[in-house]
Amino acid sequence: MTTPAAGREAGELHVVGKGLPKVDAAAKVTGAIAYADDIDLPGMLFCKLLRSQHPYARIVSIDTSAARAMPGVVAVITGDDLPVKYGIMPTCEDELALEHEKVRFVGDPVAAVAAVDEETALAACRAIEVGYEPLEAVESIEQALVSPDDEPIHGYAGPANVHRLAALEFGDVDAGFAEAAHVREDVFFFEGNTHLPMEQHSATAQAVGDKVTLWSSTQDPHYVHRALAKVLGLPMGSVRVVAAPHGGGFGGKCDPFSHEIAVCKLSLMTGRPVKCTLTREEVFYTHRGRHPVLMWVRTGVDRDGRILAMHFRSALDGGAYGSYGPASTLYTGALQTTTYAIPAYRFEGARVFTNKAPCGPKRGHGTPQPRFALEVHLDKLAADLGIDPVELRRRNYVRPFTRTVNWLRITSCGLGEVTDRVLEASGYEHRVKRPGHGMGFAVSSYMCGAGLPIYWNTMPHSECILNVGRGGVTLLSGATDIGQGSDTVLATIAAEELGLSPGDIRLVTGDTGLTPVDLGSYSSRVTFMAGNAAREAAARMRELLVRAVAEEKGCAPDEVAVADGRIGLIAFEEAAALAEARFGALSTRGSYTPPQGIGGRYKGAGVGPSPAYSYSAAVVDLDADGRSGEIRVNKVWLGHDIGRSINELAVRGQVEGGVYMGLGEVLMEAQAYRDGLLRQPSMLDYKSLTFLDMPEVETILVETLDPEGPYGAKEVGQGPLLPVIPAVVSAVHEALGVWVDEVPVTPDKVVRALDARAKGKEPRYGPKSFPQIPYPPLVKVAPPDAATAAL
Amino acid sequence: MAVFVPTSLEELLTARAERPGLDLVAGGTDLVVEVNFGRHRLEDVASLSRVPELGGWRREGPAGPGGHLVLGSGLTYTEMLDPTLAELLPSLAQAARTVGSPQIRNAGTLGGNLGTASPAGDTLPVLAALEAEVLLGSAAGTRLVPLGEFVTGPKRTALAPDEVILAARVPVARGHQEFLKVGTRNAMVIAVCSVALVLDEQARQVRVGLGSVGPVPIRALEAERFAAEVVDWSTGRFSGGEADLRRFGELVGAAARPIDDHRSIASYRRRAVEVCARRALERTMSRQAA
Repeated sequence: MTTPAAGREAGELHVVGKGLPKVDAAAKVTGAIAYADDIDLPGMLFCKLLRSQHPYARIVSIDTSAARAMPGVVAVITGDDLPVKYGIMPTCEDELALEHEKVRFVGDPVAAVAAVDEETALAACRAIEVGYEPLEAVESIEQALVSPDDEPIHGYAGPANVHRLAALEFGDVDAGFAEAAHVREDVFFFEGNTHLPMEQHSATAQAVGDKVTLWSSTQDPHYVHRALAKVLGLPMGSVRVVAAPHGGGFGGKCDPFSHEIAVCKLSLMTGRPVKCTLTREEVFYTHRGRHPVLMWVRTGVDRDGRILAMHFRSALDGGAYGSYGPASTLYTGALQTTTYAIPAYRFEGARVFTNKAPCGPKRGHGTPQPRFALEVHLDKLAADLGIDPVELRRRNYVRPFTRTVNWLRITSCGLGEVTDRVLEASGYEHRVKRPGHGMGFAVSSYMCGAGLPIYWNTMPHSECILNVGRGGVTLLSGATDIGQGSDTVLATIAAEELGLSPGDIRLVTGDTGLTPVDLGSYSSRVTFMAGNAAREAAARMRELLVRAVAEEKGCAPDEVAVADGRIGLIAFEEAAALAEARFGALSTRGSYTPPQGIGGRYKGAGVGPSPAYSYSAAVVDLDADGRSGEIRVNKVWLGHDIGRSINELAVRGQVEGGVYMGLGEVLMEAQAYRDGLLRQPSMLDYKSLTFLDMPEVETILVETLDPEGPYGAKEVGQGPLLPVIPAVVSAVHEALGVWVDEVPVTPDKVVRALDARAKGKEPRYGPKSFPQIPYPPLVKVAPPDAATAAL
Repeated sequence: MAVFVPTSLEELLTARAERPGLDLVAGGTDLVVEVNFGRHRLEDVASLSRVPELGGWRREGPAGPGGHLVLGSGLTYTEMLDPTLAELLPSLAQAARTVGSPQIRNAGTLGGNLGTASPAGDTLPVLAALEAEVLLGSAAGTRLVPLGEFVTGPKRTALAPDEVILAARVPVARGHQEFLKVGTRNAMVIAVCSVALVLDEQARQVRVGLGSVGPVPIRALEAERFAAEVVDWSTGRFSGGEADLRRFGELVGAAARPIDDHRSIASYRRRAVEVCARRALERTMSRQAA
């Protein structure tokens, strides 16, 4: 079901909005596509990394002589060979491809071997003798806040093992609380979890002379390119990174990784191609997944449930390295305001280092945890006030074309409509309550691409080149299709402008040597940003073709229709020949840079701004067993403000995938540790939903036609995951009368909440308190004035 | 590494006698996982899949009570779902249905489940409740060992280095059977706990086997004695009330010896076996009159 499109009439569009098959579907389902691990080059060597088995230890010696002497071993490298530090965020470049001073988590790489086959490489890794001096491992947020007996995990930041602190206040929060008729506080915990992509990370490097090409299963070849040039000490022009066809990322392939650097170094040393494919266990330890986050939230409301002030605190367990940590920290406080109009808002966040696999971005980056806390907190507030939880939310919804208290620019906003539609479809408001059955409701919002690049620069975020010639139409874009369908989106946009079919567009993507830049497949930015760049390039090409035809026929350009493979009355190929004869080589460009002024100007304002926000609402229907605590989700209704579907089939696929991932996170997934070791580093024990667990999903798309999105389109890759988690928690409460304030909501936690109630205690399972954190003095930011707040 | 592919039991037993401890592989669904995790290094290995004597199942003695079913160690989980066998041993079929995926059920075998003797082995609580015996063979002859003596600890058995598991021998019982399992999800899951319940109308016994709540499959003997008193033996159905179900659950819970591990915690495991046990007993009320 799609609402009729306002603005540009749906009838005017020929391929945009249609549920056409993905352009790469046939190649994928027939196995014709060569993923990174399918690459097999003549003379190729195989690389294995030796990884630490200690959570925290000083390296006192590394002896590689036995490994080097083994037959079949061609090269062995250690940290001394790659001494330059790197990291995705310029403020915390704290990683070495191979550690040589100390290891900080089980899985930290210390040496790499290139050998004639994987088994030899593995045997050689085992023959490397590393002398370790174990240090006392830091295993929890609480422990990281206390000054360690041994040295801190990193020599920067602090105090203790604190990585990053933030403290921001927008408006007068104390005054808001003083005025409030009711104030409520809650504490929540969201356990970490991991991406679980079907495809393991894999990278193959081929050096020729002092130049190297890397094919890798990565989400952002551009950032890998930068890191490689830096660590290898090569000019950017000597390094080429190609994103191989991708078997799933979800944020787990957004950092530059040690295996990518190691294979390049080994190939440069040996002159032979070198491949490294991680094992599944290595993928679990490579991680960069969802941060465990402890949260405290306090909200003051008036008698009618209108929010007057909110204070939100978060503490993130970051694991051993910086990764995207500074951004992750700010994301736990940034998007509360994009769904609810909060007139005064205070956020205090902290990220700590622990001796665990580094956390980073996972679908929803830093926002599913606070979204869970916020939505459940609002349910409890509504119950305190005796107001229906949906009604309480509606009273606080943001309005379209406004600016939030933390200066985020809201444009199109279908929050009210997605709410109406899921309530109607699910019958939520007319449900008959009975013990053991529950329905829950929640909403959320997500960005359509980060408004600012990861490293400061004023260049475009996405660029495209469109070539038309005797070989057809070729679109060059740095964007990387990680399964989300960006190739299909770009081909569809180019085809729409040129009156062709998506299958007519040849794509060259994700290749830093051939394609203009795209920052990568993260922050749900590709449809919006690369889409706009592709549209601009294609519109310029269309103009050339139309001009050539108009001049040939002696008519006005606006009399030349572009559709169905024809420019005017002439076949596309013929029109292209006319244009080439007239203008020379046909090549057009498109670029996208997010507009200025979509966020604030305070320190920390770089996280949260986006040219547009998507909106989602979910209703979950489930049964929960009052004895065993088992939960059976029956159905999920997910309403999503997509702006406009470029490909409706792909949009629905993303919604269903997001619901699937959200259910896994809320019901069973946990990246949990014992003595520094992962409890479940295999797909045998780390469970996600099977076909037998996955409920029916009813997807309801709402089109708000964003004024800046390509054809009005917004994101769908991440947003729909967000409301699923709190909606499940809410439904469990309705079914059993207990709150589980900790994700995942496993049966044992439900049972413990039921037992607490049976003993006359608070009917709840969850964290009891929030730790004392040495937050810095608040940075006070004046909210936008009334004139600025209404766009 | 040598691979033997014996095509008769005699050949297999000879190979095993000549190389005590020779790795045996049937479906490989446990062994290959151990090898992949680096917990087991394969030396010489013998494949069991072409030994005809290990496959299938047969009746022994009378068809009804007093008779036995002999289940070959090569019997796959998929074969346990065969309607004829499933009618005779419904709890075994229920257990088999919860194992892995269709591919795993096609490959994995009863003998493998016995030989691995994991505390979470899905057929083990069923075999315990059925009072099965394990038939072992070597070049020197065969011996029958009660299940409780065969499984000596977590992943430890009484199998001698020169022996091979030939079959499980199960007495035929008339009466309702149930198998319930709690796991993280509904398929491809290792049990957090499991409960098998077998009513033997001839002997007027209720027998309860518990899985994943102790180092070995556990019989809940006190709960069994209690349950025998609250079954109407003329119909083979539970005939008590809520208090009896609660008591039965408590007695089953008391028999469990669960631990905390990466799949669950001890207190939840105890709770879950209680809930499964009372559900199982309650379900006997739906038994059709014979």
